[in-house]
Amino acid sequence: MSLNIYGQTLNSRLLIGSALYPSPEIMQQAILASGSQVVTLSLKRQNPLARSGEKIWRYIQETVAQNQGFLLPNTAGCKSAKEAITLAKMSRELFQTDWIKLEVIGDDYNLQPDPIELLIATEQLLADGFKILPYCTDDLVICQRLYALGCQVIMPWASPIGTGKGLMNPYNLTSIRQRLPEATLILDAGIGKPSDACIAMEMGFDGVLLNSAIALADNPVLMAKAFSSAISAGESAYIAGTMPERQTAHPSTPTLDTPFWHQPEHS
Amino acid sequence: MKIYINGVILELPNASKQSYIDQVLTNVLPINKQQQSFALALNGEFIGREDYQHTVVKDNDSIDVLFPIVGG
Repeated sequence: MSLNIYGQTLNSRLLIGSALYPSPEIMQQAILASGSQVVTLSLKRQNPLARSGEKIWRYIQETVAQNQGFLLPNTAGCKSAKEAITLAKMSRELFQTDWIKLEVIGDDYNLQPDPIELLIATEQLLADGFKILPYCTDDLVICQRLYALGCQVIMPWASPIGTGKGLMNPYNLTSIRQRLPEATLILDAGIGKPSDACIAMEMGFDGVLLNSAIALADNPVLMAKAFSSAISAGESAYIAGTMPERQTAHPSTPTLDTPFWHQPEHS
Repeated sequence: MKIYINGVILELPNASKQSYIDQVLTNVLPINKQQQSFALALNGEFIGREDYQHTVVKDNDSIDVLFPIVGG
């Protein structure tokens, strides 16, 4: 089943990061193996005379083109709405896209998004024509505010960036899904294993964005395939409808015509 | 004129007390780099490429020249 992001139809529900891979070649192979059509990247200061960033930028462009995909620039490292707005505008010019993964970090220890600065930046960037994919915590009210402002896509975290802790608070994530049935929900950050991604999809999330769990695997290319399979499985399970959980055991084998030695004794 | 490029002080001895961004870039970027992918902010505000030739840079101004990198 396809995923729709701001009017673009995507064949994969996995959005993938381009950082932390052992080499540009493995990054390219892993992204292609994942089938993802959305690749995140960023802008940073570099020595203008150095040539270090050119090779990786070429790899990312080639990879995205091969998958007929899209670039998703982020505002990683920004700590205020003003910084994030400036970086978003720079990204739009350079990457020729009005998509922006909007990140405004509020705390250095757990890289927790700053919800107040995020809302300020969101409002101003939406007014400027951006299509925003906001990275936020799993706070229902913040997600509702972002949606009310005009974000069609909301990206709550599973757990802090790079921890691999998986879904810290499934109740919150389920609540967001139930309360925002029309929003496109992408689970972003903190995913460690394919089973985490599968659980998110079983909850009814529309997609998963991750980086470290693939890039830091012993075999990133194989892990990319594993995540792709897990996301497909979780999506199918959600569509199929999981059985209700029950408190007591129910035999799955029919009890009618149970052999005589299992019958209660007659008095 | 003294300006900051990505946080590093740069003296532009041949520049007047104010120059335009495109003039400053010729001092800090080789010609082949000027054709490459980068985006620019002046004192924390985005400046589009179409404005380089008529945006004034003054003494002590700060320019950020950002390039694509990997990201999550």
